Amino acid sequence: MELLASIEGSEFASWLRESGSIWAYPAVLTLHTLGLGVLVGASTVIDLRLLGAAPHMPLEPLRRLFPIMWTGFWVNAISGVLLFITDATTKGTTMVFMAKLAIIAVAVIVLALIKRSVFGREPVASATPTTVKTLAAVSLALWLAALITGRYMAYV
Amino acid sequence: MGATLDAFATWLHATAVSDAIRSSPWLWPWCEITHFVGLSLLVGVVGFFDLRLLGLFRRVPLNAAWSLMPWGKLGFAMAAVTGVTFFIGAPEQYINNVAFYGKLAFLLIAGLNAIAFEFFYGAAVKASTAVDATSPVYRAIAIVSIVSWFFVIYWGRMLPFIGNAF
Repeated sequence: MELLASIEGSEFASWLRESGSIWAYPAVLTLHTLGLGVLVGASTVIDLRLLGAAPHMPLEPLRRLFPIMWTGFWVNAISGVLLFITDATTKGTTMVFMAKLAIIAVAVIVLALIKRSVFGREPVASATPTTVKTLAAVSLALWLAALITGRYMAYV
Repeated sequence: MGATLDAFATWLHATAVSDAIRSSPWLWPWCEITHFVGLSLLVGVVGFFDLRLLGLFRRVPLNAAWSLMPWGKLGFAMAAVTGVTFFIGAPEQYINNVAFYGKLAFLLIAGLNAIAFEFFYGAAVKASTAVDATSPVYRAIAIVSIVSWFFVIYWGRMLPFIGNAF
């Protein structure tokens, strides 16, 4: 708790929170929104395809969405840390925030499982078996849960 | 102009539907969530299609990339309906907000760009089964789309910071 308070009271965290500069909190929040759109959006494109939307879309080229998704992920990991330090004593002690982090951790694991089972070394089959469809549905549900808990953080 | 807008905002704020939006404790947060789900669908589906127009994902035929577009349109509809709900619920925080007009301006550009693309090239895209296909016009349209949606999000994020909306 003291650690959280000292993080929140640090000069950098105070600047982010209180400077009023457009390059401080507003810029970080904008990056967090863009990263969210890229990561969840690109993942949704793959999930929709795996669930049967756009059946004529070849799967193999979608492999190149993964570097784009990892970029979105890291933009949000870094901007997320910056947002956290501006409000560490509240965020660091809120169950919803812990839930959000756990949900995102599982969502990223599911993404890695999708990558391994669909875009692994064997040639990519165009038909998707039930296990892959289940992974895609779980992925969509987890991103939705991440958005719900993330938006909820604005109210704590 | 300013006085007319203020009068409109005052009138809208006093309507029963505006009051109902404000007095529900859960409606605003759920609209925010839906707004962000819509944003993600739009960024994912439209962004993917724009990258395809730019020449990435060349092995995806244009008609296949286009076939996800109903999901992008659904995302836009989710964001639009909830956005209108925010406006009806608290018109006064948008009507004098420069970020709101920035967002509207880029929404107009993005929207006209998308409508023009579908009107002039929709049929060609739906019939385009070849890989590699793109054109300078497609690339230009994709750049306008990416840049204008970026600024829609940017100005949306600035609503509370430049113009004090919540």
